[in-house]
Amino acid sequence: MINIAKEDHIANEYPDGTGKQALLRIRNLCRTYIMGEVRVPALQNVSFDIGREDPEFVAIMGKSGSGKSTLLHQLGLLDTPTSGEIIIGGENVLKMSEAQKARFRLERFGYVFQEYALLPELTALENVYLPAMALGRKKKECFKAAREVLGQVGLGERLDHRPREMSGGEQQRVAIARALINKPDILFADEPAANLDSVSSKQVLELFRKLNREMGLTILMVTHEPEDRNYVDRVIWLKDGELEQHMEMLK
Amino acid sequence: MLSDHKLALFLAQKSIIKGNKGTLGLTIFIMSLVFVNSVFVSSLFLGLTNTINDQIINTVYGTVVIEPKKDEKFIDDVYSLKQKISRVPGVKGVSAQYIMGSVMSYKDKNGAWSVYSINPDDEVTVTTTHNFIIDGEYLSKLDENDILLGKEIAGGYGGDDESRSLGGVKTGDSIDVLFNNGVKRTYRVKGIFGVNFQRSDNIAYISQKEMTSVTGMEDKASQILIRTEDVGNEGQFIKQFLELGINEKIKPWQDYASMVKEITQSFDIISMLISGIGLFVAGVTIFIIIYMNTISKRRQIGISRAVGIKESVIINSYFIQALFIVMSGIIVGLLIVFYIVAPWFIAHPLDFPMGPVSLLILPENVFINAISLVIAASAAGLIPSMMAVRETIIESMWGD
Ligand SMILES: Nc1ncnc2c1ncn2[C@@H]1O[C@H](COP(=O)(O)OP(=O)(O)OP(=O)(O)O)[C@@H](O)[C@H]1O
Ligand SMILES: [Mg+2]
Repeated sequence: MINIAKEDHIANEYPDGTGKQALLRIRNLCRTYIMGEVRVPALQNVSFDIGREDPEFVAIMGKSGSGKSTLLHQLGLLDTPTSGEIIIGGENVLKMSEAQKARFRLERFGYVFQEYALLPELTALENVYLPAMALGRKKKECFKAAREVLGQVGLGERLDHRPREMSGGEQQRVAIARALINKPDILFADEPAANLDSVSSKQVLELFRKLNREMGLTILMVTHEPEDRNYVDRVIWLKDGELEQHMEMLK
Repeated sequence: MLSDHKLALFLAQKSIIKGNKGTLGLTIFIMSLVFVNSVFVSSLFLGLTNTINDQIINTVYGTVVIEPKKDEKFIDDVYSLKQKISRVPGVKGVSAQYIMGSVMSYKDKNGAWSVYSINPDDEVTVTTTHNFIIDGEYLSKLDENDILLGKEIAGGYGGDDESRSLGGVKTGDSIDVLFNNGVKRTYRVKGIFGVNFQRSDNIAYISQKEMTSVTGMEDKASQILIRTEDVGNEGQFIKQFLELGINEKIKPWQDYASMVKEITQSFDIISMLISGIGLFVAGVTIFIIIYMNTISKRRQIGISRAVGIKESVIINSYFIQALFIVMSGIIVGLLIVFYIVAPWFIAHPLDFPMGPVSLLILPENVFINAISLVIAASAAGLIPSMMAVRETIIESMWGD
């Protein structure tokens, strides 16, 4: 275990002397929800690095209510921490404006949520090419890229179907394709397989592992399935909002 | 920037196509009604004032009027003055009138009216009264014992104030006229006219020749009416008349239309009020529709933002939807106005004391109504969409 407590407030240095910089570095991250009089400390002083060497596939695990989703939302810039630092690719992302964060999410992050989170008015293809379109890419290019990523996730047809006309597994693969279209650095997934049957669930995890190995995609995945550990490089355990066991190297 | 607009347009288009068609149709219909309503009201009022103006010009004053010099009762040297005026290019007609008060009596009825003397050949070049003979004939130059009565004087032709009339004089009847200078004559009624403008239908006409014998004066007039080409450029003509060295008072017809000015002001207020209420209704409708839309798509808005779609793009997509609804409403409204409402009112003008009133649809008026509706509706659409992106992404996606 590395004692990271000594490395407070370090952004762009290479403290371990390896000359390698972590893709994602968080320091003393806290998120306290305030509900009227009640303060819920969902995350407390969480610090770790991801992607110091090769692109990693990391699982975030812990009991229900331990703060897994909260952590993922902070890292994915969907929420703002109460205190702490998040440095991605050397950039202090918490200093960015909302518009800059939106751009950052669009260009460098991909998201997959438990409930698929597709836009019901759009077809599968449109859902996928939307983020590409938002980047200002040409329509033709967007279509081409969308078909490509849909192929990668194993969906070659039924592309003009709307989400409600597709199975859960198919919808989730559309969501993964959408997450991939802008070639992100990091993919965030919050229990992506929780609503799927075991076959679809396996497909998703294998796809993730393949994307990590072959495309060099860093993946942070919240899960509560113990057997999912078979697919990942390491597990970050949370307990009551704190890092319980910094690293569990699996491979 | 352009790609942001494209994206907003794309999202708006999908939302409209995949949205509830019934709600959309109804909203567009409401917009069209609001538009038709405000165009109708303002066009009706414009039509009303237009009718009054037309009546004043066509049946009473022409476009420019020459009055006696200050402190004088009559215009002198009328003949040469008329000659001068008619030579000005653009002058279509000149008619001198001598006006005298009188008491007319028929059977047991009598009343006070003004008698206008005219040269009918001149008068027809200025006013259109000769086109509104409802009984008998118009005067001619050589008539001596003949009088032409407005229907309000004659009575029995559906005037506005029958009780003050002579109670049913017909063509061929004789009436007694006692002029203000004490001269008393008996005239045969040659004809009766009705222009449906109370002010004009209370006039009696005799020939200039006859008036000369009543007054014993020649070449004098109480006023000279001038009809110029087109209405609206009276000022230019007045300038030319002044340059001719005419010393009499020269007035444009508008000076006699102070009543119209007051009415126009009241109409403007009423029509602004009605349009204002319409705009408010349109605004509230759009607000509710877009608000409901953002509420039901709260999660989708959250998802879009999470993926990295800018807030401005999302706001813009709702703005475009509001714009689409109001524009469609205006297009439907224009069709209703120009293919249903306007043709109907042109075929069936409304009867008013000032004459038949139809809609006067001015392009600039339609345009102003359209623009106000667009502004009201798009502002109303902007508010809920801005509200929708104010909450956090987490709240939008998972909040209750
Ligand atoms: N928006 C919120 N407002 C207040 N408290 C919250 C909010 N979101 C989460 N919490 C609280 O923060 C703590 C951590 O929640 P979080 O959703 O991160 O847990 P989790 O590990 O993802 O749980 P699960 O496995 O059930 O998804 C919980 O106690 C939860 O009740
Ligand atoms: Mg969770």
